[in-house]
Parts: sequence; structure tokens; C-alpha cells
Amino acid sequence: MVPFGTDETISRIVSSYSGMLLRLACTRLQSTADAEDAVQETFLRLLTARPVFRDPEHERAWLVRTTLQRASDIRRKAEQRNIPLEDAAEPAAPESPGEELRSAVRALPEMYGAVIHLHYYEGYSIKEIARLLGLPAATVGTRLARGRERLRQMLREDVV
Amino acid sequence: MNREDYRKAFDELSFSADFQKRTADLLRTRARELEKEHSNMTFSKPKKMAVLIAACIALLAVSVSAAMLWLTPAQVAQEHNQPLLAEAFNGPDAILLNETVESGDFSITLLGLVSGRNLDTLNPDLEKDHTYSVLALRRLDGTPLENETFDFMQYTMTPLVAGTSPAAVNNWTLDAGATGMAKDGVYYYLLDTASIEMFADRTVYMAFYEGFAPNNAIFTVAEDGTIAFAEDFTGVHALFTLPLDPARADRAAADAFVESTGMNGWSNERTDPKGEWDIQRRETADGEELILRPKGEQ
Repeated sequence: MVPFGTDETISRIVSSYSGMLLRLACTRLQSTADAEDAVQETFLRLLTARPVFRDPEHERAWLVRTTLQRASDIRRKAEQRNIPLEDAAEPAAPESPGEELRSAVRALPEMYGAVIHLHYYEGYSIKEIARLLGLPAATVGTRLARGRERLRQMLREDVV
Repeated sequence: MNREDYRKAFDELSFSADFQKRTADLLRTRARELEKEHSNMTFSKPKKMAVLIAACIALLAVSVSAAMLWLTPAQVAQEHNQPLLAEAFNGPDAILLNETVESGDFSITLLGLVSGRNLDTLNPDLEKDHTYSVLALRRLDGTPLENETFDFMQYTMTPLVAGTSPAAVNNWTLDAGATGMAKDGVYYYLLDTASIEMFADRTVYMAFYEGFAPNNAIFTVAEDGTIAFAEDFTGVHALFTLPLDPARADRAAADAFVESTGMNGWSNERTDPKGEWDIQRRETADGEELILRPKGEQ
């Protein structure tokens, strides 16, 4: 594949993947500005690490995994900032059903959130998610079922 | 919730209108900077270039000697007739470290690790993911280590996890199996444990030390959960921090595992200098099995 770094490949990668990666980062980050940081850092890492991809699927998998990792790093750093629990404000009630759902996805354990999102938003099959995340298909299936069940409990409704 | 509701919820998200343009501009600027750094380094300074070539030749010599000195984790797996494991060590999920600590008469190098399922053709375990780690040991004075004379059982290689007791997460609770072999004067440990990826959102260590099951004569645990060797521990020892992918952590499974051991208590105070374990050794067909029980427990 053409090495990342030329104007042409930068344009292609940013336009092809930005939307997908930004939404994916939002499964772990509440702030869209943080999600933008995570995705920018992912692209910058692609530029400096210059990995060699076998095919477009390998490229997508690298971007997905790196974005999830960056989003986790940003989230963890935010959680580590010293906010005593008693000073933390009560979480505001979700303003819309959409926010309620996004909030529930963010509350899922990370391993469930990514699988749920890739399936429900991106429409990937279990096998495709397994290849993207480098996991056995059976593990993805289990995570999808458990993630769905947890969402159902949080949203107190049917998740199909 | 169905797929339509889900997509609608995430389509509601609003990102900066100029995100793509801003990002592409940033990347182009950074790409030009990298290109400039590269050309400065390689073309515009002939004298530096000469130094660089000399340095490269020296580096090449070191690399060749290192390549001759160590087997790779994949080669160690091959030596154990484990082609699937060798393949995994050459794959994208392997973590290759090559980190070395010198302690006592030894140089201890953690070569790498990989986690996965069904990588062991000799002892397949269809139900569980495992982590396989490879460590190399050599004498600093160059004296070769040999199968016939090296006392494999004198040392322990074990994962530990910050924030949990060394008594709770270690070789014994993780059902470890370790094998060793000498090759060209270097001794290699291949450690097979239950997968440690579930702990990946915490600091996970690989400890190597002269001694047996973890106890407070060997380790101390700080208030923040950090694990270190006891200041007065004099045996050979090394503690490596493992760069696991936090996205693979499973906090619920990790907590359940620690809970299931019933061993998460720890005190740095040494009330029992002999440790807190009863140890039984039993010969098996392929080696020796060590059984540990908390003192007093049948």
C-alpha cells in the first residue's frame, strides 16, 4: 500500500475514517473534543509509526484498535485527576434518549462497548469484529450478548 | 433499543465542522517536518553522515552479536516443538520486550509474551486463553549455563499485579507450567499461565527471582498497590513491567479471579519468617509438581 504521509493518502485516510473513529471514541469518551483528540493522536501515530499494512482491512483494524487505546488512555487520565467523590456533582439526567443510550454505552465495560458499537452502528458481523479487534469470534459473540444484556438492564427495555 | 435507535443516538453527536480539514493540515505539516528531519539527517551533513555510518556499523555488529546471543521467543517455542506458539510470537499480538536487568551473577532478559487460545499443541486447552512468556538468563562472566547443572527449581518466574496481593495473583493461582532449556550457554524459561490480559488496565509485572512462592520476605506492597522486591532481599531478582493493551482488560473477571483465590490479604510485616505456605513436591511423568497450601490448611 502507498505509505501514509503523502497529501493523497492523508486526505484519503482522514476523509474515510474520521467519522467512524470519532463515533467509536465516543463509546469511551463523553466529550466530543476528547474524541477528536483521540482520533488526531491516532492519525499522528500512523504518521510517525509508519506501519506496513497487508490490505485495507489490516489498515482499518490498526486504526480501530489504536483509537480505542487512545480513548482509553484519555479516559483513564481524566479519571485519575484527583476529584474527591464527595465533591463530585450529581450526574445530570440525560437530556435525550440518544444521550441516555450513549451514556449507557460509555458505562459498559470497555470490552463490551467496542463490540456493541461495531455491531450496532457499523453493522459488522461477529467474524468481522473478531478480525478487527484480534479476538476469537466466540469471545466477540459472548461480549456482544453480555453487552446487550447489560444495556438492556441499564435502559430497562428490550435490546434486539 | 434496535440498530436504528443506536445509529440515531450516535448520529446526533456533533463534532467540529473543520475537524477533517484541521486534522489533514496538521498531518501534512507534521509529514513535512518528518521529511525535513529525515533529509537533514541523511543528506545535508556529510560529516555527521560519516559518524552515522560508523554508528550503524557498530550497531549492526551489536545486533548480530545479540542475534547470536539470544534465541527469539518464536525460536524458543520452536525448540519446544510448539509451531502454533512460534507463529503467535511472530504475529501482531506478540509483545516483544528484550528488556534486561543485571542482578547478582546474572543478566536476566524478558524477551516477550503473547496471549491466546489453543496455541499449545501439546496441552491444548479449548476453554481458556493463556499467556506465554519467554525469559533468557545468562551468566555475566560468560560461563555457559547448561541443562545438566542449572537448578531450574531454584528460581521463580511469575506474573504479579499491582493492587492485588502477590499471594493472590502468581504462578500457583494462575495454574502455571514452566519449562526450561539451555541453548548455547543461555538458559530459557517458557512460562505458561492463565491469560493475564484481564489485568491489563492495572500495572502487571513479570518477576524473576531466586526463591519460591511469593511472600513478604521477597516482596513488599506499597499503599498504592505498587509491588517491589523487599529492600533486604539479596537473591537474584528482576521485576519487569508489562506493556499490555488496557483495552483487553476485563475488570469484572479480574476481580472475580482475585476473589476466588481467597488470598488477597497481604502484610509487609513478617510475623512468620518461614512464609505462609506449606509446600509439597511430587514427581510427575514430565517433571516435578509443586503444591502450595496456606499454612495449616489441609
